[in-house]
Amino acid sequence: MSSPTQPPSDKHPPEHSPAQWGTSLGYGEPLEPDDIVAIPIFETVSKGLLQKNQGAVVRRRFKAGETICKEGDFGSTAFYILEGTAEVFLSTPMRGGNEEPERTSWWQKLRAFAEPKMLSKKGPGHGFISIDAPVNLTKEAPTAQLQAGELFGEMTCMNFYPRSATVRARTDVVVIEMLRNVLDILMKNAKFKAQIDETYKRRALNDHLRSMPFFSDLISKSGIRHDELTGLMEQIQQHAELSRYAPGQVICKQGSAADGFYIVRIGFVRVSKEMAGGEMVVGYLSRGNCFGEMGLLGEGIRTATCTALDHAEVVRIGVEQFNALLNASPEVRRALEEVAKEREEQNQQRLAEVESVSLDAVLTQGLIEAQSLLLLDLDRCTRCDACVRACADTHGGVTRLVREGLRLDHYLVASSCRQCRDPLCMIGCPVGSIRRKRSLEIVIEDWCIGCGLCAKGCPYGNINMQALIDDAADAVTAPVEAPAEPAPDGKVINASAARLKAAPKKKATACDLCSDLDEPSCVYACPHDAAHRVDPRQFFASKPGTSAGTR
Amino acid sequence: MAIVFYLVTTRGPQLKPYGGTWPGIFLGIAAMALMIFAALLGLRKRFLGLRIGRLHKWMRGHLWLGLLTVPMVLLHAGFLAGGALTSVLLVLTLVVGVSGIAGAVLQHVLPRMLTHEVPMETVFEQIPHIREQLKEEGEALLAAASKPQPAKAAAAPAGAATATMTAGDVGIQPLQNFWETQLAPFLLDPDGKSKLATPTNSEAAFRRLRTLLAAQHHPTVDVLEDLAEESRQLKRQESIHYWLHGWLFVHVPLSYALLVLALIHAWQALRY
Repeated sequence: MSSPTQPPSDKHPPEHSPAQWGTSLGYGEPLEPDDIVAIPIFETVSKGLLQKNQGAVVRRRFKAGETICKEGDFGSTAFYILEGTAEVFLSTPMRGGNEEPERTSWWQKLRAFAEPKMLSKKGPGHGFISIDAPVNLTKEAPTAQLQAGELFGEMTCMNFYPRSATVRARTDVVVIEMLRNVLDILMKNAKFKAQIDETYKRRALNDHLRSMPFFSDLISKSGIRHDELTGLMEQIQQHAELSRYAPGQVICKQGSAADGFYIVRIGFVRVSKEMAGGEMVVGYLSRGNCFGEMGLLGEGIRTATCTALDHAEVVRIGVEQFNALLNASPEVRRALEEVAKEREEQNQQRLAEVESVSLDAVLTQGLIEAQSLLLLDLDRCTRCDACVRACADTHGGVTRLVREGLRLDHYLVASSCRQCRDPLCMIGCPVGSIRRKRSLEIVIEDWCIGCGLCAKGCPYGNINMQALIDDAADAVTAPVEAPAEPAPDGKVINASAARLKAAPKKKATACDLCSDLDEPSCVYACPHDAAHRVDPRQFFASKPGTSAGTR
Repeated sequence: MAIVFYLVTTRGPQLKPYGGTWPGIFLGIAAMALMIFAALLGLRKRFLGLRIGRLHKWMRGHLWLGLLTVPMVLLHAGFLAGGALTSVLLVLTLVVGVSGIAGAVLQHVLPRMLTHEVPMETVFEQIPHIREQLKEEGEALLAAASKPQPAKAAAAPAGAATATMTAGDVGIQPLQNFWETQLAPFLLDPDGKSKLATPTNSEAAFRRLRTLLAAQHHPTVDVLEDLAEESRQLKRQESIHYWLHGWLFVHVPLSYALLVLALIHAWQALRY
């Protein structure tokens, strides 16, 4: 556990946080230690500790309709609701994954015949959106309520990630807003910790469990009855243990014995495998994602190393509960073994793609990290930009590639997602909208809140923030509220009603290899066969004379 | 096959122009179909996101079948010009065919030229923006070179008058003059008549400039020379780009004119 007075990490410095760095918030109703211990959750905290951290916890009051925190804003505090009800929601416009645009004119209907047919818009993943609160949001209706006694904003407080959702007072609300040092103190309180853990188990853990591909496969294959499954889930939840890890701490190591599986509650976990060419990062897991189940399904040996990337908290489901699931019925056991076999085959296939070619020393400047490059043969390319226009046509008018970048001999490495072995862009997404699907491509889902962390995280500038353009309007806008102003008596007045202004809502966009189509549009549309998506290790291994050049 | 067909069907005395005979009409219809197919490439390129055949295959079809249109038209006409409209059609067919062949050659040769002669190539539409950046970079270099630097007092001999020498005072004027009169205008809008337009003349100009400046300014001059080189390369890129795409301004309008006139000719011929 980190020291309460440890300076905040500068990995993601808050840009818009109203809090001062260090130990004091500069707004709200400052509380004396005597006032703080009068609040039930602080009753066992020593006054001396609170004295040292004076100013790091304030009381704030919000009238019904006022915004408590806004999605995408950086911050460094967590909130605990003392009184009232708040609603938590995503205000980012979502078009939805499977909606077909309405076609009214005869030309649109004719076009529909010729438009590329999506193979499948659904990939692996869950039917909910994980946020930094003890509740998940559904994609269809991304809104929920938070009650008195609930804590939200932990991940922002501990790791300085952007707010994952907007929280607005539904009724008059009183909250305690605190910095990390105070949250650390509270989390050491067994009673408070138990309360928070219980809320999480009751409101969110069930969704996380059901969302695990392993469980959803089990449900579809075993024919297990709903009441049987509910009983098993309740048993698992009761015995679930929550554990915290410091940045860099290994949670489980490749090759060690598997003693349970895990679900991420807060923070990010890096999953990596040791392979012939070195360590490969399989992915980054955020809230709601699970890991470790393969070790239990297979030979009881961990197949990857999982490391906490920042201050992480995970739910551990022990092998005993897992065995209880196995013994529930012969059908369940058979279904589990079948699932295990399928998952292992998929993993082996995926690893074979990566292990087949040895790393080539010719590749430099980050290309060695790439698994897929968009190369333009400049000796054939007439610079007609058909690739760019085709990409824009396929992606709602916004291109995902720029015909500019590194030059290798007579090839141009276009600025387009490289599907990196170590996808740094995935670190920090507050709503888990950037993820890997079953194959290697990285996708950004529709519920991206436009915080821009992934765009900043990409070392190659291949993720761009684009303003949404709606057919019916020039731009989809979101109201930008004026920052809260503290009144002389310390109460916060939100002047948002008087100072709303429209600003274009942005979302992150990146090349997704047109994974729902049989071939990337840029390659399909090149009139001179100059555009190719290649695996760089295979492609350049056969061209030893390639030399790198830059502008 | 068309040639054999023509030879077979033109045996014996011809009572009317070949184009009016059934074999001639058949060849005319075939030529028209090829023209229409060739014209569809333009339409295909307007809807790049549609999956109705790879554009590469459409392009190859356009090239080969478009090329086939020329002998088809000649055979259909019986190698005779005929009246005013048909003469125009024949000439247009030849011009469109030749312009298409020229365009195909240009698109085969010029990309390689661009790749090898312009290593600093950028996206064509960004060139004005890049030129602005080059000018800003030059201005920043000049501003840095103009800043006065403190003299090193320890280096002055004892008893000698210690003049405060600043880098900004000594020898910077030739650089500023060169920038204002030659380099800055060249970066924004390269003129073929400028001394910096060719590598040889540019090298000579910068060599002369170095002789007028103290050694401490030579690194700045080196960077400015690189900026001039980049400006030349952008100019070269523009020139090649216009040749790479400019021929379409001849080929495309004439093609559409050919198609329209061919349709009029077909309507007239079939009606009368």
